Amino acid sequence: MRKLLSTAALVLTASLSVAVTPVSAETGVTADTIRIGMFGPLTGPTAVGSLPLFGAAAVYKDVNAHGGINGRKIELFIEDDACDPNKTISATKKLIAQDQVFMVHGGWCSGTVMAIKPELARNPQLPYMVLGAASAAISTPVMPNLFHPIATTNTVTRTMLDFALSKPDTKRVAIISHSDEWGKSHINPLLEYMKTKGIEPVESVWLERGSTSATSQLLKLRNAKPDVVLAILYPPELTLYLRGADKYGIKAPTVTTQGVSIEDMVHRVGNPAATKDLFVFYPLSSTLDAPEFSKWVDMYRKYYPNEPVETLSFMGMTGALAIVEAIKRAGPDLTREKVIDELNKLRDFDPGLQSGPLTFTPEVHAGITSGKMIYWPKDHAEIVATYPVDR
Amino acid sequence: MLAQLIVSGLVNGSVYAVVALGMTVLYRSTTVVNFCHGEFFMLGAFAILVSQQVLGWSYTASILFALILLMLFGSLVERLLMRPLQNAPHISLAMMTIALSYLFKGISRFFYGREVVPLEPLVDGGPIELGSVILLPQDLLVAGSSLLIVLGFFYFFQKTQAGKVIQAASQTPRGAALVGINVPRFQNFMWGASAALGAVAGILIAPSTLVYPDMGAHMLIQAFAAMTLGGFGSLPGAVLGALTLGVLENLIGGYVSSSLVEITAYLAIIVVLVVRPQGLLGEWRQGRG
Repeated sequence: MRKLLSTAALVLTASLSVAVTPVSAETGVTADTIRIGMFGPLTGPTAVGSLPLFGAAAVYKDVNAHGGINGRKIELFIEDDACDPNKTISATKKLIAQDQVFMVHGGWCSGTVMAIKPELARNPQLPYMVLGAASAAISTPVMPNLFHPIATTNTVTRTMLDFALSKPDTKRVAIISHSDEWGKSHINPLLEYMKTKGIEPVESVWLERGSTSATSQLLKLRNAKPDVVLAILYPPELTLYLRGADKYGIKAPTVTTQGVSIEDMVHRVGNPAATKDLFVFYPLSSTLDAPEFSKWVDMYRKYYPNEPVETLSFMGMTGALAIVEAIKRAGPDLTREKVIDELNKLRDFDPGLQSGPLTFTPEVHAGITSGKMIYWPKDHAEIVATYPVDR
Repeated sequence: MLAQLIVSGLVNGSVYAVVALGMTVLYRSTTVVNFCHGEFFMLGAFAILVSQQVLGWSYTASILFALILLMLFGSLVERLLMRPLQNAPHISLAMMTIALSYLFKGISRFFYGREVVPLEPLVDGGPIELGSVILLPQDLLVAGSSLLIVLGFFYFFQKTQAGKVIQAASQTPRGAALVGINVPRFQNFMWGASAALGAVAGILIAPSTLVYPDMGAHMLIQAFAAMTLGGFGSLPGAVLGALTLGVLENLIGGYVSSSLVEITAYLAIIVVLVVRPQGLLGEWRQGRG
């Protein structure tokens, strides 16, 4: 009898303790924390994608330093996926099942984000914000829990072509591109958009990753006599192309994607003549040295003083700010459903960071639909909307 | 365009030749197919980078440093990691070099994970026009240096006593040991020489391609294709195969499709193995020879 009473007392005590402890009903949320999972390539050949992750993490750390959101601090769980789809799937499963995060913010490479879409579909209640991957296929068609806060390849290639055609008398457009998934995610919307403008590329050549020479591609481009060359290349191959274009006397300006940063390319190519006509899609509101942008640079440097400050460093911040805003609007009784609802109501969100306002609706989750170009005419970067004819 | 494609192909091919020569020299003297040779190539470029940008040394001092470092490094790899496996099956030796390849790449990624770093050109100067052909001083230096190295190696193996001893020791290691030749020491030297050759190629090409941890993988495939094309184990074959591959890549890219440039090396391997397995200048060998 005594044993029975003891057991009953224990059960009662346990039940009462559960009843009086303030427990949130939502996964990843406690009375004073919100768990956010992040992933990106911290190592490997695409580890430059760690910079946007650090930028986003700096936003979260800054929010914590200013008291958190509705009394809760953000707790980050960061995984390295090395831009390997298999590792990304494992990292996402770990964040969801083991770390029990409230939501996920990650993905620098489009292939990795595409790889976890089935996992996201199996967890439709989990809000997911893309970190920096740009493929339009990520957010088209719309997935209710996936939000895309950077310029997609549709936006990038439209901006590139519009910019190229703003150069007076431009008729002959040539393309040099990688043939991998990233290259195709740009080439396909670009060719479709060119078709709507009635333009056929005068030459289209492939340059593969890891190439040590681009002679045949360069000679084909030179023979095509283009007015402008659209380059869909990663930094090492773009360097190879720009140096070669200068060597072989290809005078046409080069217009390229947001996969590179202008400061980095000027440094890598090491030949001002080869980069003075390079125009890069620019996703930010101002140049990095502009006074109005110092707020973001200071924030990044405060939390990641040893990391380089480049354009890419700020590409993940907009998504982080959108998440913070949605959590704030969702109020103290935080649920995943409320955050998804609030994200869907985000209109013209412009914290002064990205090149255009961010808007999500239930029908459109590709939130950025505009961008500008940046170039390095002499000794500093300048942002331009159209080709600078007075050069 | 044809002349430019051929000349540029020869310049590229001359770098492949130095890499392929390094692998062939090692294969002939030890029968090891070295899958981490691409990493010797990469480490040579990184040695220059570190000595220039961290230690602030001149190009000349950096090149000397890189060559000595890689020579020692290759010898150490042989002494500490390969020699204990000398009686193991070939597959174990190959697996060891594959493991080393990933290890060296991983270590360099640890320090330079997301960096793609430029190196100053070895020689400055604008493009030189020779008729319809345009070359940079760097191109001439690459081709000239490669030619000198290739000729130097041929002279060493064909004309010097040490070179002939090394060839004899590699062909019949047991016989060489019986007549008093220190075969392990020769093999150790050849590992060092092979690593230094890899470094030379890395030093020559890094100013054009930038320096990054994964730069060796692509070059390894080109070297394999060159060796297969020229004849596995043949020194002149490796050089001829490399130059042919460089030109073929450009001609296919220029006249057929740029999307085929990257598969030229694989196509060469497949076609040669099917049509002429001994390659252009190789000989039929059965088993380990």
